Amino acid sequence: MKLKTFLVALVASTAMTGAAMAADTIKIGLSGPFTGGSASMGVSMRDGVKLAAEEINKAGGVLGKQIELIERDDEAKNEVGVQVSQELINKEGVVATLGFINTGVALAGQRFYQEAEIPVINNVATGTVISTQFKAPNYVFRTSASDAIQSVMIADEAIKRQGFKKPAILADSTNYGQLGQADLIKALDKLSVKPVATEKFNIGDTDMTAQVLRAKEAGADVILTYGIGPELAQIANAMAKLGWKVPMIGSWTLSMASYIDTAGANGDGAIMPETFIQLASTPKRKAFIEAYQKKYNIDRMPSPVSAAQGYDSVYLLAAAIKQAGSTDGRKIREALENLNTKIEGVVTTYDHPFSATDHEAISPNIPVMGLVKGGRVVPAHDEDVQGDKAVRVKPKA
Amino acid sequence: MRGVFLIGDPMDILAQLVVSGISVGMIYAVIAFGYQLTFATSKTLNFGQGEALMIGALVGLTTINFLIGQAIGTFWAYLLMLPVVLVFGLAQGAFVEWLGVRQAIRTKSEAGWIMATIALGIIFKNLAENIWGRDPLKFPSPLPEAALQIGPVRMQPMEIAIIVGALLLMAAVEVFNRRSIFGKAVVATANDRDAAGLMGINTSRVITFSYALSSLSAAFAGVLVAPVTLTGAAMGAVLGLKAFAVAIIGGLSSGVGAIVGGLMLGIVETLTGFYISTGYKDVPGLVLLLLVLSLKPSGLFGQAAIKKV
Repeated sequence: MKLKTFLVALVASTAMTGAAMAADTIKIGLSGPFTGGSASMGVSMRDGVKLAAEEINKAGGVLGKQIELIERDDEAKNEVGVQVSQELINKEGVVATLGFINTGVALAGQRFYQEAEIPVINNVATGTVISTQFKAPNYVFRTSASDAIQSVMIADEAIKRQGFKKPAILADSTNYGQLGQADLIKALDKLSVKPVATEKFNIGDTDMTAQVLRAKEAGADVILTYGIGPELAQIANAMAKLGWKVPMIGSWTLSMASYIDTAGANGDGAIMPETFIQLASTPKRKAFIEAYQKKYNIDRMPSPVSAAQGYDSVYLLAAAIKQAGSTDGRKIREALENLNTKIEGVVTTYDHPFSATDHEAISPNIPVMGLVKGGRVVPAHDEDVQGDKAVRVKPKA
Repeated sequence: MRGVFLIGDPMDILAQLVVSGISVGMIYAVIAFGYQLTFATSKTLNFGQGEALMIGALVGLTTINFLIGQAIGTFWAYLLMLPVVLVFGLAQGAFVEWLGVRQAIRTKSEAGWIMATIALGIIFKNLAENIWGRDPLKFPSPLPEAALQIGPVRMQPMEIAIIVGALLLMAAVEVFNRRSIFGKAVVATANDRDAAGLMGINTSRVITFSYALSSLSAAFAGVLVAPVTLTGAAMGAVLGLKAFAVAIIGGLSSGVGAIVGGLMLGIVETLTGFYISTGYKDVPGLVLLLLVLSLKPSGLFGQAAIKKV
């Protein structure tokens, strides 16, 4: 009996605190891996989000309320991501969630937001199916460049722009690597090119001799990659060991700090699509980079892309809540799908970024190719980022 | 699907693959050697062997970074770090035996030590996650990272160091066991624990010592492999498991078996990766394990155990 009374009291008190809190702040969930192999992306995303939320709060918040971020570490594990999603929805009562770095986690976790009719903005995960997992009304939005966009850019760069003819694909065995590899093969097929080798490796593999030798013996003139930092570095190191150097072009994970730092000099020259490069090419970007460096006391951002996309996702969400005039999930979704204010972000200027059928804020013309050089990512082709090309905007539908 | 091989000489490629397989295999061998050490004296195993490797590597990382911070060159810092890691390994192994195994041996519990060593392994992993975080960390390489051309084969200097270091460690332990009086006690205990006990050998202390040596070899393997991989709380799991397969293939009662088993697994893995498919790299090792278990259950170099009931 006693226990029951206690439980009732506990439930009642939690419910009351929940209600009381909801009145003061707007709770926004933040889900990403803050530890583990993809932590550099998760932490940069979180820091970008926090920076934007702080700026908005300083300027008076949204609907007269302060934004309160509820951070949860999903450890890049699908099952933890599911728990985090349920906790944020049911226990914390968030009005929307930002985050997801890993495609697998996004696909496993966002189902709960869809069911609860709470919008979720993927600001880093790139798996092509993420934004189309559900039919309209779809609560899943994205501010990162999908693998469909990235794979076409990789293929175009390698075949059309640099004139390579015999690409070898090296991809890891995760959802990310295998889905990306499929996109890549499709993109190459459109250019009537078949990869001369398609090799696989596991997370944690330390010896890439077999994979790299196969690519070499198949006569590859370029290596296309879909994996994450530590293993990509092992590929670069294996090439150096075997005394065989062909260019590496791959998904944006080649810009991860764990790739750049572990591969060191062997990693130089890798090329990847980037929505954002740490470069003060516009006043907005300059302000963002300086604010980030000052707040977190660093020079090189661990993952500039994640930070920028995270930062922008907060402004998009805040504008939608303002336009909806409420924190009701359905109204926020409708507002996102028809955003009337033009938002100058750091990645691009968002002018009606989403519609009822298109939940991708990033279009193929926005990302540019980045290049690893001396431990940093710089533009691969300077002409891509000069003049009016500095800010690339999604074409109107 | 096989690619069209036209560039390198097939024999050169084979040599390159075998050499890469040997350096991977030697790491498996050192860890498997550790399994064999405790099994010989006590018929028990430390299932936290992979974690002993991991925590040894992380202790090594902290030590070497501290030494480099004292303006000592990476090479000398690495050498100075080795005794610290070896002593840590000894202590860690003795601790595992004291907490997890001793009681199980005393009460002749069949499963107690299995659960206890697995549990301790998990605890060490969590401990490492909390102290060093979950990010894989780069371990400074004591040798230049540029590869050397040796005949048709290219090797990183650290890969050579792995092979030499692993052989030296195993040789040192063997010499110690054969020459020193304490080593003879270890051998006696391994041959017949009861008889050794009757001869006045403190077999319980010998078992503690074998656990200490076992973790020492794992910790040493950790700092050997760390410069070519990354160091982190998760690095032990796969290596510990593969080394266990090696120990079974080679035979749990044979030190030579550990080396042969390790080399076989390492070489078979890289050869399969190249000649069959990188997607099936891990399969032949397990097939090998199943084959050995069904044809010669005590392992290639193991002695068949007669269990009296």
